[in-house]
Amino acid sequence: MKKIIGLVLILAIGLFTGCGTDTQATDAEVEQFTIGITQFGEHGSLDNCREGFIAGLAEEGFVEGENLTIIYENAQFDNGISNQIAQNFVSKKLDLIGAIATPVAQSSFNAAKAKDIPVVFTAVTDPVAAMLTEGNVTGTSDKLPVEAQLKLIRAMLPEAKNIGILYTTSEVNSLSTIEEYKTLAGNYGFEIVDMGVSATADVPLAVDRILPQIDAMTNLTDNTVVGSLPVILEKANAKAIPIFGSEIEQVKLGCIASEGIEYVELGKQTGRMAAQILRGEKEADDIPYEIIEQSSLYINTSVMEEFGLTLAEEYLDRAMDVAK
Amino acid sequence: MDIFIGILEQGMIYAILALGIYITYKILNFPDLTVDGSFPLGAAVTAYLMTNSGDFVSVITLSHNPYIICVYALIAGSIAGLVTGIIHVKFNIRDLISGIITMTGLYSINLRIAGSANVPIFNYDTIFSNSLMGSIFPESLLKYKVIIIATIITLGTKIILDLYLKTKSGFLLRAVGNNQVLVTTLAKDSGNVKILGLVIGNAIVSLSGSILMQQQGFFEITMGTGTMVLGLASVIIGTNVFKKAKFMKATTSVIFGSIIYKAAMSAAMDISFTKASDMKLVTAILFLVILVFSEGKKKKVKADA
Repeated sequence: MKKIIGLVLILAIGLFTGCGTDTQATDAEVEQFTIGITQFGEHGSLDNCREGFIAGLAEEGFVEGENLTIIYENAQFDNGISNQIAQNFVSKKLDLIGAIATPVAQSSFNAAKAKDIPVVFTAVTDPVAAMLTEGNVTGTSDKLPVEAQLKLIRAMLPEAKNIGILYTTSEVNSLSTIEEYKTLAGNYGFEIVDMGVSATADVPLAVDRILPQIDAMTNLTDNTVVGSLPVILEKANAKAIPIFGSEIEQVKLGCIASEGIEYVELGKQTGRMAAQILRGEKEADDIPYEIIEQSSLYINTSVMEEFGLTLAEEYLDRAMDVAK
Repeated sequence: MDIFIGILEQGMIYAILALGIYITYKILNFPDLTVDGSFPLGAAVTAYLMTNSGDFVSVITLSHNPYIICVYALIAGSIAGLVTGIIHVKFNIRDLISGIITMTGLYSINLRIAGSANVPIFNYDTIFSNSLMGSIFPESLLKYKVIIIATIITLGTKIILDLYLKTKSGFLLRAVGNNQVLVTTLAKDSGNVKILGLVIGNAIVSLSGSILMQQQGFFEITMGTGTMVLGLASVIIGTNVFKKAKFMKATTSVIFGSIIYKAAMSAAMDISFTKASDMKLVTAILFLVILVFSEGKKKKVKADA
């Protein structure tokens, strides 16, 4: 008997806490909205996206706690959990789902299709390949400004020939970015040397193998590789091989420079798109996905000094120094 | 209400996985890590057969029939199980290691089969959404479509499994897990029986991977991570909670175990005083509570709980 009581208890918790949120959005003068934000995992860039997303909504008059209730869930990088979050959100009949990173965007879109809840994604590198361009879905892509990055590397290292890139074989975004690097590298006289890893544990071995073959290295927004950045930097510095980052956090950690995107900005842009949908001005279906056109240039002057590198005139007014 | 539907949908789909793991872990007494690879294998095979528009694929799948594709996922999984079985039995490699070897190799194989780490299939026919299903289900039942189909497949798997376990071959399978010597005295090769068990177990696991992938709408290479843990939790919760319910077959308990697992996860998600990142801790505590409750007061820890 006891176990049955226990069971009922567990199920009941799920039911009651689930219903609780629906009732909040009633007795106020202003129209109340409830949205869900689902994020693939705990990660600096993704956290910035979320922060920006909420800020972007606030700029447009959707302020959390005033006229907006936000239910936030994190999938802990687990595919099964991301599905369950999506279904959980859909069953609560939310006004909108904000999805941060590709897998959660896909599960949310798939689950929300039946109920026609709009999904607004961010940090999806290739929305076309992810099939997130048709239907009640829109958002922003965090596609890297590959061309700008190649131009920057060429400006700083006129002699360099081979550029190394480490990536994780399980990250579909990395593969599409490497393809773009390979297509564009020739225009700047570079050759790309890429090496795939399958887990964090493989990174040190891969770094040892790739360093002798390259003159410089550039990072993608590959979670596994970026997570191992300290070990990569240590090994590369020992061999005096400069490493370029793909966003501000990496430059802070010791990469020389990056032509990257600012995730808070990206999130804000996404939040503004979501606001348009909440206001009913536009359907998600009618808004094409957006990318950030202008890349942000971050440099680390103390690392530049170590390598004896300087920044070309044309970059000076745009560059932001993040060295401590 | 919708939350329950969500839990039942996920619980039923993962119950197929749990049935596969039940075969290897409970019946065969084999901690089979192959499942972390054979689960996404089923999904990868499905992704490939659905999205590849070549003539050959069209012919062998009867023009991309999702039900036929499930059969191929089943076959692919059985091959994975066969490989683990051969490594373990013929090369005398320990059970855990044989599973790890196959699982490791399958990561690359899955990427090759699927062609990419993430393959969406939103616009393709699946077992849940195709013209046949569209015509069978009336508007009012559309909401329950996934759960009805998943339940049919899960119960079908369970019934076939129950019937099989009553055959001579099924008895031998159970005997190998309990008492290998007995099997040998019956003049049967216990090795071959073990291989058969792994083949069946992984075929079912792979099928569940295919079905989950069709329900979630995309293949993702990381979807295999933690499969073993998840399935094992369902098996243990199910068999423990319903231990005293003698009228219930173990396979039925396992299905309920999977649903309880998903309900606990869903509850953990909704407990509002926690941070999102605490979810796994809350899930762990809920499991502990369920297991302690089901143990009752009388007995202390059993070694193989």
